[in-house]
Amino acid sequence: MSVTQVFEYKSNEKSYHQVVDDVNHLLDKAGVSMNERYPFVLAVSEALTNAIIHGNKKNPEKSVKLTVTVNEKVMSADILDEGQGGLDRIRQRKPSTPKDEGGRGIDLIEHYATSVGYVQTPAGGLKVEIRIERKTNSVVEK
Amino acid sequence: MKITVKEEGATTVILLDGRLDLATGTNLKDEVKKLCDKGVKRLHLNLQKVEFINSSGLGAMVSVMKQVRLKKGRLTLSNLATYVREIFEITQLSHVFEIYETQQEALETSDKVTSE
Repeated sequence: MSVTQVFEYKSNEKSYHQVVDDVNHLLDKAGVSMNERYPFVLAVSEALTNAIIHGNKKNPEKSVKLTVTVNEKVMSADILDEGQGGLDRIRQRKPSTPKDEGGRGIDLIEHYATSVGYVQTPAGGLKVEIRIERKTNSVVEK
Repeated sequence: MKITVKEEGATTVILLDGRLDLATGTNLKDEVKKLCDKGVKRLHLNLQKVEFINSSGLGAMVSVMKQVRLKKGRLTLSNLATYVREIFEITQLSHVFEIYETQQEALETSDKVTSE
């Protein structure tokens, strides 16, 4: 069974919580176990936070579109912002040090994801494509 | 996120309950600042009920650690769920924070350090 859902978030603080609720709800419907879902929820949360802060610059007029697909083999999410120059930001980022208060989001996404893609759209927004292969092909009881 | 502060001997314990992210991390930083301003030097964060933490939540923890150390204080952590511990290790913050399995263990160690 494959489940796909599209969400849209305003660039505000409420969205940081809402995305975790929404993705958890979708994973509930898809029967993904609590143990298996954490890396995916974390990766989506990190990408959405980056999209709001660095992509949309917290502009309340701009939103972030999230498309989540879950099937027996993979959990995937595309996160699209309405900013400019996101790809350059990704390319030019510096590794964080333990004393830094920020800069770990992309590292965590890349650690947990089977693959991550960064695509600059013609309109200028950045689309982050996260794929995490599932450990088992069967639905695991919670 | 719910933040509960209580005294355990000479240590001030903060119990965190809920999600620690960008929005709630600010509340934690504000709470710790208030405590530091009151002169609290020994602080313990019990993360047993933290159900979700992301890099913004980690950033808040780093900020808290800096605040405590600036006041020459000591910060310990305990009761990290497996996935929370894993994130601390991936980001190498496990080398920066004093992390204990249980709150009791952290408080006992804190007492020993003080009495030496």
